[in-house]
Amino acid sequence: MKRQIPLAFCFLFGIAMIFTQFSPHSYSQAVYKEVINWGLIISPFAMVLAVVTLIQTHVTRINLRTEHWQYSLIVFVGMIVMVLIGVPFGPQNSIVEWLYNNVQVPMDATMFSLLAFFIASAAFRAFRARSFEAFLLLATAMIVMIGNVPVGDLVWNKVMSWMPWTDGASWLRQWILDVLNNAARRGIILGVSLGVISQSIRIILGIERSYLGGGD
Amino acid sequence: MTYNKTFICITTCLLIFLCGTYAFSQEPTFSTPTNVTAKDTPNDDGSSITVTWDAVPEDSGITGYKILRNTDSGEFEEIGKQLKPTATQYKDSEIEKGKTHAYFVQAITDSEALVNSQQTEGVIATGQWFHTGKTSLFIAMIILCAAILVSIYLCRNNQDVFVRRIPGLEAVDEAIGRATEMGRSILYVLGLGGVENVATIASMTILGQVARRTADYETPLRVPCNDPIVLNVVREMVKTSYLDEGRPDAYQEENIFYLTGDQFAYAAGVDGMMIREKPAAVFLQGTFYAESLLMAETGNSIGAIQIAGTDSEHQLPFFIAACDYTLIGEELYAASAYLSKEPMLLGSLRGQDWGKIVIFVTIILGVTLELFGINWITTLLQSVR
Repeated sequence: MKRQIPLAFCFLFGIAMIFTQFSPHSYSQAVYKEVINWGLIISPFAMVLAVVTLIQTHVTRINLRTEHWQYSLIVFVGMIVMVLIGVPFGPQNSIVEWLYNNVQVPMDATMFSLLAFFIASAAFRAFRARSFEAFLLLATAMIVMIGNVPVGDLVWNKVMSWMPWTDGASWLRQWILDVLNNAARRGIILGVSLGVISQSIRIILGIERSYLGGGD
Repeated sequence: MTYNKTFICITTCLLIFLCGTYAFSQEPTFSTPTNVTAKDTPNDDGSSITVTWDAVPEDSGITGYKILRNTDSGEFEEIGKQLKPTATQYKDSEIEKGKTHAYFVQAITDSEALVNSQQTEGVIATGQWFHTGKTSLFIAMIILCAAILVSIYLCRNNQDVFVRRIPGLEAVDEAIGRATEMGRSILYVLGLGGVENVATIASMTILGQVARRTADYETPLRVPCNDPIVLNVVREMVKTSYLDEGRPDAYQEENIFYLTGDQFAYAAGVDGMMIREKPAAVFLQGTFYAESLLMAETGNSIGAIQIAGTDSEHQLPFFIAACDYTLIGEELYAASAYLSKEPMLLGSLRGQDWGKIVIFVTIILGVTLELFGINWITTLLQSVR
C-alpha cells in the first residue's frame, strides 16, 4: 500500500494534467490551478526541513572545527539578520532591500563574472587541435569569434577584397549559427522531447518508480 | 442679345448658388458597419465573446469604433476602449458567464457623428472541453505515446534489447571505483531543477543507481540540494537504495543536505565543497543554467573524474569542454534503463527510436513535397501551437 497509493495518485494526476493541456474548459483549468496550488502549499513545509538540515550541517561544521568552519558562522549571522529584519518588517523593508542590493546582488554578480575566465580556460583546453574533430572545432570557433567583432569584417573587406561579397566574416558566422548550429540544436531538442515523453509515460504508468525511494 | 447674355449670366450664377447651397447643406453619408456578428470565442473556457464586422475602405471617413453591449436584453453600455478604424473584431473578455449578450458596433466619423450597426443576436458563451487548435499536437502525442507503449509491451519479457554503448554511463562504475580506491567522496549535483522537472527526476534515478554502488563500497556520497522538495525525495531514495543493498548502517543522512535556493550562491557552495573536500568523482546531472561551467571547471581543476548530463542544450558545450563524459540530451533519460537493464525500461528506449523514425520520415516527406510546391505538411506542422 505504501507504494500503490502514490503510484495510483501519480497515474491519476499525470493523466489529468495531460488532459488539462488540451482542454480549455473552466473545470479542467480549475483542476490544473488547484494542483499547482497544492504544490505551492507543500513547498513551505519542505522548506522548514531544508532550513533545519542547513542549520544541522553548519552546526556540525562548527562543532567539529572542520576546515574553514568560520564561514559557517557567517551563514548564521546572515540568516539571523535577515530573519530578524525580514520577518517582522517584510521583504520591502528598506534595510532588507539595502542588504539585498548591496550584499547579495554584488556577490551574485561576482560569481557570474567568474564565468568569463572559466570560459577562457575551458576554451583553451577544448580548442587544442589534437585530432581532426578538434581542428574542426577550433576552425569553427575562430570563424565565429572573428565574425563576432567588428574588426572581423574590416579585415575581411581589406584582406579578402577579391572575394565577391563584403562583410563575409559576420555573414559566415551567422551562417554557421543559423544552419550548422541550429541543425544540431534541433536534433538534440527532438531527442530530449522524445526522452521527456518516454520518461513521463514510464512515471505515469509506474514502470519507473525509483523516485519513490529505491526499487526500479 | 444683351437680354440673352444677361439671362444666361443670371441663370448660371443661380445654378452655381443652388448647387453650392445643396452641396454644403448635405452631411457626408457613411455606411454603417456591416456584417456585425457576435460568436462565442472558440477554444476558450467560456469567458469571452468575439464580435466581428467587415473592414471599411481607408477613405471612408471613419475614425474609430465603439462597442456597445447589453446583458439579458438590458440597456446597451459602451465597453472597452475606442478601437482603431482598421479594427474588424473585438474580443469581449468581461462577460457574465451564463447570461445572454448582444452587441452593436458604433462607427465614429471624422465629424464626430456616430453611426450604429445592426444589433447582433444574443450569445451565451460556453467553455470547450477540447482545444481544436491543438488537434494535430494531440494526434502527434498519441502516435508517439502509442509507439512507446507498444514497444514497452513487446519488450516486457525480452532481455535482449540492444542499446548502443553510452560511454558516460559505462564510466559510472569507473568513477565510483576510483573514489573508493582513493578514499575520497563522490559529489552528486542535481542541478537547479525542481522536482516537477523531468530532467531532475531522470537525475534522481541515476542517483539511485549510484547510491546502490556507493552502499556496497561504503564510499561517502555527498548531495547538496537547492530545492527543499528534491532534498526530501533524494533522502528517501538514497536511504531505500542503501536498505535494498543491505547496508542501512552506511547511510548518512547528513550527507544529503540543503545548500541554498539561489543560483550563484549554490554554484559558490558547490565550488567550495569541491575545493575543500576534493571529491574523486563529480556527477553533474539534471537541469543547469549559467552555473554549469562554474562547477564543471572547478571540478576539472581539482582533478575529479566528471560525468555530466543535461537536457539544457545551451549548457552542453560547457560540459563537453570541461567534463570527462557527458550525457547529451536524451541519454540522460536513457540512463535509468541503461543502468538497470530492466526490459520494460529498455522497451521505452526502443519506442523512442520508433518516434524518431516517425519524425525523420515526416521531415523528409515535408522537404520533398515542398520541393514540388506541395506544402500541406509544413502548414500542418506550423499549425501546432
